[in-house]
Parts: sequence; C-alpha cells; structure tokens
Amino acid sequence: MPVQIQYKAKDKLLKKYPKIEVCLKCNTCALVDPVIYANGFSHTNTFINDVFSAAEPEKNQNIWLCVSCHKCEEICPYEVKPIEVIEALKDEAFEKGYAPEGIREEINQVLTTGYAFPIFQSLAYINRIRGQFGLKTLGERKVEDIRKIARKTGLEAKISGGKSK
Amino acid sequence: MTAKYAFFKGCFTPVRLPWVEKAAYKTLEKLGISLVDIDDFTCCPEPVGVGIVDNLTWLAVAARNLAIAEEENLDILTICNGCTYTLRNTIHKLNEDKALLEKVNEIIADTGHSYKGTVKVHHFIEVLRDEVGLKKLKNSVKRPLSGLTVATHTGCHILSPKEVMKFDNPFDPTTLDNFVAVLGATPAEYDMKTMCCGWTLMTYGAREGAYKLLGDKLGDMKKAKADCITVICPQCFYQFDMGQWIASRKDIPQYNLPVFFYLQLLDLAMGAKIEEVGYSLHKVQNLSVVNKIK
Repeated sequence: MPVQIQYKAKDKLLKKYPKIEVCLKCNTCALVDPVIYANGFSHTNTFINDVFSAAEPEKNQNIWLCVSCHKCEEICPYEVKPIEVIEALKDEAFEKGYAPEGIREEINQVLTTGYAFPIFQSLAYINRIRGQFGLKTLGERKVEDIRKIARKTGLEAKISGGKSK
Repeated sequence: MTAKYAFFKGCFTPVRLPWVEKAAYKTLEKLGISLVDIDDFTCCPEPVGVGIVDNLTWLAVAARNLAIAEEENLDILTICNGCTYTLRNTIHKLNEDKALLEKVNEIIADTGHSYKGTVKVHHFIEVLRDEVGLKKLKNSVKRPLSGLTVATHTGCHILSPKEVMKFDNPFDPTTLDNFVAVLGATPAEYDMKTMCCGWTLMTYGAREGAYKLLGDKLGDMKKAKADCITVICPQCFYQFDMGQWIASRKDIPQYNLPVFFYLQLLDLAMGAKIEEVGYSLHKVQNLSVVNKIK
C-alpha cells in the first residue's frame, strides 16, 4: 500500500515549510532513519508519514524520537528537509506543554545545575571514581549565568509556568 | 611546539566516563597537545533537548561558552559529538547572521561575556588528524593492536549537517577507520556503519526499538568479525556499552562486543595496561578480546 501523507495540519505546516508539499513519499529517508526501529514503524509506514499525517502533529510523542541526525535531509532527493518540520513541531509541543517529562527535566537540570542530567544525587560516587583516575572533583557550575540567560529568553518562565501533560 | 586548547569536557564524559577524560589528558599531552581546564564552562547545551525546544537559549548559552574561550585566546577542543555540534552550529549561525549575533550578545551581556566570532571548535579526532597527523600518531604506537578487528562508529552529530560540521562523508565516513589502522588494528567493514546508536530511542520512549537497532547493528559488526567497537562520542559509548548490556539480558544475542572510546585504544597502543584505561568499569567485558591486546 502506498504511503499516504494527509497533511491534516496542512495549512499551518505548509505555510511555514512549503517544501513538504514536494515530498514524493519515496521513503528514501526511511532507509537511514533510526526511528524506523520504534514500534509501529516500517519502511512503508514511515516516521515522516506518522508525523505529517497526525491530526495534531505537535501532540505526537514520536516526534521526540528524532535525534536530529540530519540524515533524512541529506539523503532526500527533493531537498524536503523533514528535520526542519520535526524540530519546529518539538518547539511548538514544548510551548504547549506536550513535551515528555524527560525533556522538561533535562532542561530543568541545565537551568539549575549547568549539567544536562542529574548528578548531585550521586556526586559522592562520581567524585570517588574521578579520584581513582586522579581527576578534579566535580561541583556546581556557573548556574547563575545560565539563569540570567534563561530569564531573558523566557525559557525560565516557560519551564516553571508551562503546562505538564 | 605545544598546541594549547581550552578543554571542553561537556557533561557526560566527566560524570559517567571519567576514564575517558583521563585518557584525553594522558594521550593528547604525550602528542604535544596541551589541555587548559576552564571552570566557567557549562553544559554546551545539549542539542536534541535544549537546542530544539528553545533555540535562542541554546545559542546564547553556547555563545557564552565560546566567549569564555575567546577571552583566554584559545580554540576549543571537545571530546563529544554533541558538544561539537552545538558549538559549531552556534558559530555557523551567529557568524552568518549579524542581527542574530547582536541579539544573542544582548542576551548574554548580563553574564559579562560577549561573543566575537574568533574562536574555532575542534573535535579531538580533528586535532589528531590536522594538528598531530597520522604519521606522528603512528610513531607514538608502542604496542600495535594488530590482534584486533575494530568496528568504527563515527556517530551522527559530527557528520551532519555536512556543510557545518565539515568532517567526513555522512554516508561513508572513513576517517575513524584510518585512525584504527594507524594503531595496527584492522577496521571492520560492516553494513550499518552510519546507523545511529539509538540513544534518543532509548532515552525518549522507544526502548524496544533501541534494542532492535542494537541487535541489528551489533550483529552486522559481529558478522564482519569485529572484536570490539570504537567511538568518539560519550553517548554512543554508553549506548553500545550499557545499552548492549541491558539489551543482551533478553532482547538480543550475547554479542559480547566491548566498546572503547578511541582515546582508550590510543592509550593502549601507546603502551597503557588494560587496567589503566578504565576497562574494569565497562559493562561489556570480554576476556578473549583483552587477550588479543598483548
């Protein structure tokens, strides 16, 4: 069965990314896309199909599986750049509070510790291992600078006031 | 002459793979590369989470990191594909767009830093290629790893977008194979060489898919007679090591393919003992592979 892309959120996506209309559904991108390994996907039911045919694609949790490897963009024979659409959808999903908890927590970590993931619960262990290799202990990073930045860009308000679903 | 770099360690390596950080100091300094510690660096920030959902914060935090290196008059050396991607994409975007550069500098002004656009970012493998050179690297080998066939996994974010990263062919990378060969080992020719390690699948909700991916990719490596894997990115390391260990409990065959960060392989080839490179902290260990490093 040929892949159908229904573009239910067509107007909005097309306005921003007119090139997605050029997509021939040739599935070349599926040959290099790691998301094909997620449940429910195959080389005929592709990630691109899943994203573009959803009624509200920004609510589709599968968009978070994209690793931004740019392979789809680089292999696409028609320069459709699906990654641009997927990244824009993630942006929108985060704004609307649809981002998974893991993403919200990661951003929270960066803003509150300067590291991309939790380290302070296991800091004693980490520093013990580092000591075995003669490395300096880890501690706080310049979080205040990151907070100043996030205050100005509005990310701090978004993460503390944003909806969580 | 010693070349000096601001050492951008990132988050993942110092926290979860400190032995890789150790190998960086040890091997690079032997090759005449001096690494300067800078405590003010923060998370790059991570490209797939922060980078996508808030582009401006991503660029601003990265610009602050870049500005700090500029203030020291040093280029940056990284040991992570993700950090390299973030910092190099930020340079690309800000140096191409003056209005965006001004906006970002206005955002980071309160931190007391300003990005000028003079700093360059080098992944350590690029420093080995462009600054040290394969010839000098070859001369530093005291114990050729001639018993090993090594599957190279270059990783995604150092390859693409190719016009920004300018590292190697995203669909047929050969750089890392040359670096394996120079240590005396044989690079494995396997099919799924450019398939992602599956990190995002594992982290953001598709673990079963990540296991399936690992099963296929590691299976291909095994078919090509690989003894072990080498990587140049800490997330890829973790996925192939911890990921393989978890997946092989029930989901995929026991391939028992140990993973070495390239700097660990280099350290071994320069004469380090297996006990010195942090191997005992790896999840996947295989005695028959260790026995080939003699």
